[in-house]
Amino acid sequence: MANLVIMPRQGQSVESCIITTWQKKKGDRVNEGDIIFSYETDKSAFDEPAQFSGVILHTFAEEGDVVDCLAPVCIIGEEGEDISSLLGGAAPAEEKKEEPKAEDAAPAEKAEPAAAPEATKPEGDRLRISPRAKNLALKTGVDLSAVTPTGPHGRIIERDVNAALDAGKVGTTAAVEDFLRGIVPEKKEGSEAPASAPAAAAAPSADVYAYEEAPMSNVRKVIAKSMHASLSEMAQLTLNASFDATRLLAYRKLLKERGEEMGLSKVTINDMVLFAVGRILPKFPDINANLVDGKIRRFAHANVGCAVDTDRGLLVPVITCAEKKTLAEVSADAKRLAGGAREGKLSPDEMSGGSFTVTNLGSLGVESFTPVINPPQTAILGVCCTVNRLKADGTVYPAMGLSLTFDHRAVDGAPAAKFLKELCTALESFDLLLAK
Amino acid sequence: MPKSQYVDPGKVFQPGYAEFEKIPLCTYNKTIKDEKANYKKEDFLRIYHDMRTIREFETMLNEIKVKSEYRGVEYHNPGPAHLSIGQEASAVGQAYCLDINDFTFGSHRSHGEILAKGLSSINKLTEDELYAIMKEFLGGTILGVVEKNFKTDNVKELAKDFLLYGALAEILARKTGFNRGLGGSMHAFFIPFGIFPNNAIVGGSAPIALGAALYKRSNGKPGIVVANSGDGALGRGPVLESLNFAAMDQITKLWGMDGKYSSAGMPILFNVFNNFYGMGGQTMGETMGFGNPARLAAGFSPTQLHAEKVNGYDPLAVIEATTRKRDLLLRGEGPALLEVATYRVSGHSPSDASTYRTAEEIEAWREACPIKAYREKLVKARVATNAEFDAIDEAIIERMVSVIKLAINDEVSPRMDLAAEPDMISSIMYSNNHVKSMDESREPEVLIPKEEDPRVKQIAGKSRWAFDADGKPVPKMKVFGLRDGLFEAIIDKFYEDPTTIAYGEDNRDWGGAFAVYRGLTEALPYHRFFNAPISESAIVGSAVGYAMAGGRAIVELMYADFIGCAGDEIFNQLSKWQSMSAGILKMPVVLRVSVGSKYGAQHSQDWTALTAHIPGLKVCFPATPYDAKGLMNQALNGTDPVVFFESQRIYDVGEQFHEGGVPTDYYEVDFGDPDVKKTGSDVTILSIGAVLYRALDAAKILEEKYGVSAEIIDARSIVPFNYEKVIESVKKTGRIIIVGDAVDRNSVMRDMASNIAEMAFDYLDAPPVVFGSRNWITPAFELEKFYFPQAEGIVDVISEKLLPLPGRVPTYNETELEHIERSKRGV
Repeated sequence: MANLVIMPRQGQSVESCIITTWQKKKGDRVNEGDIIFSYETDKSAFDEPAQFSGVILHTFAEEGDVVDCLAPVCIIGEEGEDISSLLGGAAPAEEKKEEPKAEDAAPAEKAEPAAAPEATKPEGDRLRISPRAKNLALKTGVDLSAVTPTGPHGRIIERDVNAALDAGKVGTTAAVEDFLRGIVPEKKEGSEAPASAPAAAAAPSADVYAYEEAPMSNVRKVIAKSMHASLSEMAQLTLNASFDATRLLAYRKLLKERGEEMGLSKVTINDMVLFAVGRILPKFPDINANLVDGKIRRFAHANVGCAVDTDRGLLVPVITCAEKKTLAEVSADAKRLAGGAREGKLSPDEMSGGSFTVTNLGSLGVESFTPVINPPQTAILGVCCTVNRLKADGTVYPAMGLSLTFDHRAVDGAPAAKFLKELCTALESFDLLLAK
Repeated sequence: MPKSQYVDPGKVFQPGYAEFEKIPLCTYNKTIKDEKANYKKEDFLRIYHDMRTIREFETMLNEIKVKSEYRGVEYHNPGPAHLSIGQEASAVGQAYCLDINDFTFGSHRSHGEILAKGLSSINKLTEDELYAIMKEFLGGTILGVVEKNFKTDNVKELAKDFLLYGALAEILARKTGFNRGLGGSMHAFFIPFGIFPNNAIVGGSAPIALGAALYKRSNGKPGIVVANSGDGALGRGPVLESLNFAAMDQITKLWGMDGKYSSAGMPILFNVFNNFYGMGGQTMGETMGFGNPARLAAGFSPTQLHAEKVNGYDPLAVIEATTRKRDLLLRGEGPALLEVATYRVSGHSPSDASTYRTAEEIEAWREACPIKAYREKLVKARVATNAEFDAIDEAIIERMVSVIKLAINDEVSPRMDLAAEPDMISSIMYSNNHVKSMDESREPEVLIPKEEDPRVKQIAGKSRWAFDADGKPVPKMKVFGLRDGLFEAIIDKFYEDPTTIAYGEDNRDWGGAFAVYRGLTEALPYHRFFNAPISESAIVGSAVGYAMAGGRAIVELMYADFIGCAGDEIFNQLSKWQSMSAGILKMPVVLRVSVGSKYGAQHSQDWTALTAHIPGLKVCFPATPYDAKGLMNQALNGTDPVVFFESQRIYDVGEQFHEGGVPTDYYEVDFGDPDVKKTGSDVTILSIGAVLYRALDAAKILEEKYGVSAEIIDARSIVPFNYEKVIESVKKTGRIIIVGDAVDRNSVMRDMASNIAEMAFDYLDAPPVVFGSRNWITPAFELEKFYFPQAEGIVDVISEKLLPLPGRVPTYNETELEHIERSKRGV
């Protein structure tokens, strides 16, 4: 009768063995005790002796095959015996093993979260927020009062801030700081309408930090260098003053209404300030000056720079000899230079040699500011907007602000203040100045 | 378990008697007249001089300790001083017959042994040799001090000043001491004179001395090793283990390999200075039952270790006996044991009130003073006059006063200035060298060419990547596993470094309990690769001594749980000798420890925390074949002690991470460099050891069920550890869980969590959390999922403590409340 030879189990943890050598081949006759094949586990090598005599009728595995423990390795019997009953279903372990299991074959797509995270309730009154979520809130100015915590212990975690940002709940950084300090904004009646917030306002969270990187233009680089040098090398300080602009504005109104024939209808407030500056500057040689290499260059003429905002950045063309020019000439120069600056048609000469600069943010509603000196000049005048002020008698007048930044290395506070005062006086009585 | 030795049931039960030889006790009975044939006058006087020098040195230490003054020199010494006043003849007698190639190891009471061996070496070396040694040592620092302050043209006299000054400066923790003051009184030594470290741990030197002897034995080096200890040390397991290890049969019966190699016995003399007290416990009559320490030797081997007892109060008797022992060791008949009976009249330490012995006893021994008795005998036998002896005394006292003055002078002998050089100790905690071969002058002794090794051939047919061309896993039997990675690195080193040896329990024939060493038996002779007795202390301790003597050792503890059995050797010896020697000693030892699984409470523990806690050890725990081979390569090329953790769960795992599989060529993985095994964006899982694969499963669940992307970092090594990669990952994900199979409490994971919280606080969306094993015993395999961290548990902890996962129904209770409750109960 034919017998199956099985792979012995060599120890509890051994699941399979590798057949290293067939000492007998199919068709060979073996006697009890003859070594049929050698095999090994990952730890040791063994020889398998035949437990019965006969002929090897069939082998189930080749050399090098891995065979499960207790699985058939070969059949020993007598020639001509029917071994079909022993052959059934036996196959090398390796092939059997590697058939993919149905559940393994399921596509492993990245699952979406089954549901939205559940809100968790903060324990006690204390605000719970992770350091990471806090940093993100400060960076984005998310409306923390609108954030729903989903972290452990009702802690606000990063995803909660992102969810609020996704819903467009943005406030200010100051409000975040207040919130973190425990100052919660009072909710106004009826203001609670996040559901009706326009969908367009809701930016996807990934876009919160979106930016594009642009190289600095050459003009930008020059401005950057010059402004940085200005602030890092000079001893700058700014004086603010204002003057009663009633007569200045009245005169401008007059020009607008009746100056067309004389070509004066387009004269601006700024032109008028430039004109006044040109007239006053020669009296203050340390302000109409450059400070170069420890020496003060006092200019013979008032060459007034005129800051112009262009697409390419700030440019400062210069109105030369302003002290001699009429208001009409100053105005014409200013228009020509500003236009040239915007179109990029000015020569470098027209943008250099300034002895002083005037910059105007008044048209943009700025009430007072700190202009930055254009090196190596020693001062710069900022023109601000007009605001209505009350006089002691209760009447209202338009007050225009002037901000003078000067380099204390070249000029002291008192002469600078005197310059500013004289300028204010001159502008307050602009019509008189024209007569000079 | 060599097959050549047959355990025959027919012979095992034969009746008969075990027989013992008589052990000689104090049989020396020569007179000075007899000895005149063996000693010239100068020899007799040198013996006196050396004993008298030790007596004066220790008297000085005692007076400073007790009175803060010695002969008008005032000083206060807060450090220890374990004196051996009364034992001088024992130390000098032994050292007298030792050669420069003979090494001595001592105890915590070894000032006398150091000075005796030093003076003996000074006598034996030529002036040129002596000067060269002094000039080379620590860049000539000590020589510079001594030359400047002791103006003498006589090199031998200068060398005595050098010896006394270097030892005293070391005892007083001065930077000009033999070990820059880092060893101190109980750890002073001077390798160039063959004076190896003493040890503050009683019995600590025995396995280390055994290792030095093993180095001589396995590398054919000349000389013997003397393991000095007191009688008290005989109660210690490591000492008994060392006696047994040294005497094991295989050294003489198997290591010769049929005449191919030496069959000599272990060249070690266990020298027991029996002063009758282990501190205060009286060994004979109270704390031991051996009668005479010499009797103990009889059980270790049929040679009875050639044991005898000698009169340690007679230097000539000690010389006679030690010379005989040394001769038989050099003939290859070792090991040997000598009991040298002596007595310490000084206290154990200056605070010793001698409550355990009577004043009469002390006085009787003071009266029997070996120095006085020897001098009287020599005067009586007309070898020298009292005046000659007085002159010797005076010169010694004069020298001692000069030495102490110099050693306490803060200008000449400063302490380390850690304010000015804060990294001085940091810089010697590791040697960080890269040495391919510890002895490039020799070819390694091997039995076959490497390519013919059966394991090497078997590995050649394996797939070095875990998946086949279709991406299906290669069957375990055919894949290059983690154990193959270890084997490859180790066999390469055996064929490169002739000093490399490996031993542990069941290493040879069996191939290591987990088959890492399968194939080494065929390649290596016994003296490079053998089975150690089940003696973890001796296994690790001898590796320490082997490395100290100049070799490289790979030793194995079959289970990490056995670290406790080798506690002192790992925690105090292996870890500390590089730094206690101020970087003079190197410690190229790789200690392989295997973390078990399925084997219950005493065979399944990850004890990385215990080893990582001890400064001076490097610790790693690779989880992939690539990392295992790369880290083993670096460990084996280094000169620092490495505790190499392996996991029995994953010895057969194939490489799944390193593109292209495990390289056949040499490469190293840097210690301290964790590895990102999988990138992700929402949570970081930092894994230590085999838990890596469960972390991967957890990542799959997170991704597929919850849309959470996990990044997995494998720590790979634990000491050193570079946090930069982990911090970078945390900056990205904001969350981190640290997982490992060690019990949670006081684990490496806890340490890492605390460091990460400090380093990345502003980036964290939740506190770093730890998921280790429960603070229990390890239960049976079938219950392990309730004990070791599982994938589902990792997901539970993430959901509970880091990022609540919508719809998650936890399998495990990992809530904070539960954590507090468990802590209350200590579990």
